[in-house]
Amino acid sequence: MLFLQQVSNGIMLGSVYVTVAVAFTLTIGVLNFLNFTIPTLFMLAGMLVWAFSAWGIPFTPIGPMPWQAALVGAIAVTVVASLLVERFTFRFLKTKYGDSTEHAIPLVSSLGFLLIIENLIRIGYGTDTQRFSGPQADMSVNIGGIFLRVPQVVSLVIVLGIVAGLNWILRHSRIGRGLRAIAENPDAANILGVRANKLVPVVFMLTGLLCGLAGVLFAINYGEVSPQIGDDIGSKAIAGMVLGGLGSIWGAVIGGLIIGLTEMLTIHFFGADTVQVAVWGLLLLSLFLRPQGLFGHHSIGKGKL
Amino acid sequence: MTAQPPLLSLRNISKSFGGLSVISDVSFDVATGKRMALIGPNGAGKTTVFNLVSGFYQPDKGEILLQGNAIQLVPSRRRIGLGMARSFQNIRLMPHLSVVENVMLGQQARAGGVIEMLTPLSFFGRSHWRDEAESLLRDMGLQTYRGEVVASLPYGIRKKIEVVRALVARPKLLLLDEPAAGLNAAETESLTSFLEHISGTGVTLLVVEHDMGMVRRLCDHVVVLNFGRKIYDGLTADVQNDSLVLEAYLGPRDKAASTAREANPHAA
Amino acid sequence: MSGYWSGILTILALNVIMAYAIFLPVATGQLNLGGAGFQAVGAYGAAYLSAKYGFAVWVTIPFAMILTAFVSFILAFPLLRTKGVYLVLATFAFAEVVGGAILNTDALGGPMGLSVPAFVEYPVPLASAVLVTLFAFYLMATRFGLVMRAAHDDDVVTDLMGVNVRGIRVAAFTIGGALAGLAGALYAHSFSFVEIQSFNAWISIYVLLYVLLGGTQTAWGPLAGAVFFTMLPEALRVVLPALKGWLGFAIGLQGANTAPDESWRFVILGVLTVLMMMFRPEGLITRTMIERLSFRKRRPQLEAVDVAA
Repeated sequence: MLFLQQVSNGIMLGSVYVTVAVAFTLTIGVLNFLNFTIPTLFMLAGMLVWAFSAWGIPFTPIGPMPWQAALVGAIAVTVVASLLVERFTFRFLKTKYGDSTEHAIPLVSSLGFLLIIENLIRIGYGTDTQRFSGPQADMSVNIGGIFLRVPQVVSLVIVLGIVAGLNWILRHSRIGRGLRAIAENPDAANILGVRANKLVPVVFMLTGLLCGLAGVLFAINYGEVSPQIGDDIGSKAIAGMVLGGLGSIWGAVIGGLIIGLTEMLTIHFFGADTVQVAVWGLLLLSLFLRPQGLFGHHSIGKGKL
Repeated sequence: MTAQPPLLSLRNISKSFGGLSVISDVSFDVATGKRMALIGPNGAGKTTVFNLVSGFYQPDKGEILLQGNAIQLVPSRRRIGLGMARSFQNIRLMPHLSVVENVMLGQQARAGGVIEMLTPLSFFGRSHWRDEAESLLRDMGLQTYRGEVVASLPYGIRKKIEVVRALVARPKLLLLDEPAAGLNAAETESLTSFLEHISGTGVTLLVVEHDMGMVRRLCDHVVVLNFGRKIYDGLTADVQNDSLVLEAYLGPRDKAASTAREANPHAA
Repeated sequence: MSGYWSGILTILALNVIMAYAIFLPVATGQLNLGGAGFQAVGAYGAAYLSAKYGFAVWVTIPFAMILTAFVSFILAFPLLRTKGVYLVLATFAFAEVVGGAILNTDALGGPMGLSVPAFVEYPVPLASAVLVTLFAFYLMATRFGLVMRAAHDDDVVTDLMGVNVRGIRVAAFTIGGALAGLAGALYAHSFSFVEIQSFNAWISIYVLLYVLLGGTQTAWGPLAGAVFFTMLPEALRVVLPALKGWLGFAIGLQGANTAPDESWRFVILGVLTVLMMMFRPEGLITRTMIERLSFRKRRPQLEAVDVAA
């Protein structure tokens, strides 16, 4: 029974990783861009939902807000931050020479933004862990002997809903078709009239939404945030993405859940210290042996890799 | 005395990419010391032939012989050491290296030993490699550019640098892919003289070109490809009379129009 | 020399060596985001020999370098088969695996770290840094260096020119690894203590960024990057108090603790990274710049020769 409880905890934990992993995989799938800012956006949302509810909005007279407003505010700021990243990383990419490191220019820029956002938050709010109390933090339900905390269940449902919705958008909407065209062949897409300038920001907006959502859900679920939460989540989300296959949304889902499970089980059997080795070792092996992951490598600009 | 085998020999070469046949049963020889042109309408497969010869692709069928030895299975890395060097249709120089450095890269096949690799090229005094590269650049009239980083130079200059890079490998067989593309009449003239001079030193030339004036002046032999097949293999002097060739370029049309076009290929 | 400045010089020396350690693979086109992992191997290798067996520094340091070179060499083969984003991820994953492995190895002190009995004064890392710098300049001046840079620009054509691109990349990666191991060993013996928390992902990120900022086309770049990164906090120490007064008023510093001023250094590093990638992704010091500087000296003579000819 304890084992099953751990499994269910693992799945719940995994759902946080899933959302962030989906953000990563979407950006890589459509834009061939490993966006290192993503974990920081997640942290930003988590910290802001606390900061807005505890202190209000800086530089303004607006004081502490109810958690609902803080939630919306945090997600909104995260989306704006993500769009800023787009403006100053991707928008500026000029592939002039096609040499080995040019593809990495946005990646490096995103590392720059990672440093900026993370350290500004540290400067502004310190490095301590902060308590956050959101809705129904302590309620749980009992299903067949396993305790599931309500916020966690709600998160899982929301996350799976978002992912299914995202998948639907990609498959059936015009925006989705445009994004898939860009992913497949940016030049052909351009010739066919797909307006990359309008669609690329959509990816970043979705990224902001996903990370924002993940961040606030994390804050609600765990009741604690700190500027360090992004680091850990980021690694696990990347691992989940690679396991599932770069560019595959459902791969990111499965991968994220697997990582969550692995983490819980490793802690259960071997102790917390071994998680790092287990997860990253799994990732490294997967990169060496089956880099395309479980579901293969989707729609990445061919020839760039 | 037995006849020398041709320097380069393609025998029944075929190549497809994902079901699309790009080269179909092409055979021709390039005799040692000759100057041959490989021409054909766009998409005929000329660059693919170069890519097959230099080892970038492997043929699906057929053999490639260099001086009588089959090389189609030799890794691309080793082919330059066997005596062939090429230039590229879209210039492929190293954008972040200087002109001289790009040329010195061409010497690599002749300088590959560990000692050579670890000897400074320009630290204390000059090295003979650098001198050789610079002297070759001087022969082509490019010496003022030698320190310039390639990315900043005009197209025509970069085209010529590619030829120098191929030459510095001291090849027996020089494969040039559209060396005159983008050059004006004066530059084409000087390039053609230079290539004649090179050929005079014993280098065999195989040139892909669209400039028929240059081809007529430089090459006495021509092979014509169309849709991946060889449709003509013979003297340059006779190629404009060949009906298959005319049809390939112009479609079935009267002779007067095609002759006028031949004479002035750059007219719109 | 005051203890403070000797500390700075030591850190500068270590940063310079790490810069070159990352520079070598990056110069061939392989971004290495796992620098801290290799440094940790060297640091713990030296620390262990010193703590457990009492070997002197002139044994532990070469051992550390050889160990790290060996690990890099073995890793290079599967690693360099991956490309692009996969390569970056794999180097990052490797550093995390090293960190996690050391964390769980009690013989190496686990999370508590390891004390290092043998100690070196700042001239040792400084001299090592000078040697490494000279070595890097030498290497880039050889055919090996030429071919490295060619492989970065166009590995297909470099291969056609007769170069074993894979071999070059493995070699660059291995030598870079050895240098990282050297930096690690020197760290162990300069600070008398190693703990795995010091060799974290941030370190890998910083070193990659300041190498890229300095410029990866010439041996000058990493030196510039390392000097800038090391000296930035010193510069900030002068500038920041003034800034803090204004900002303390504006932000209304919230939260229980004020973050260490260190954080501004990283904000600036981040901002410069973004700007550099936007406007000059090759880094500050490029081949063109060096050529222009040395060409200007030679040009007057050149024109004289042409006139005479």
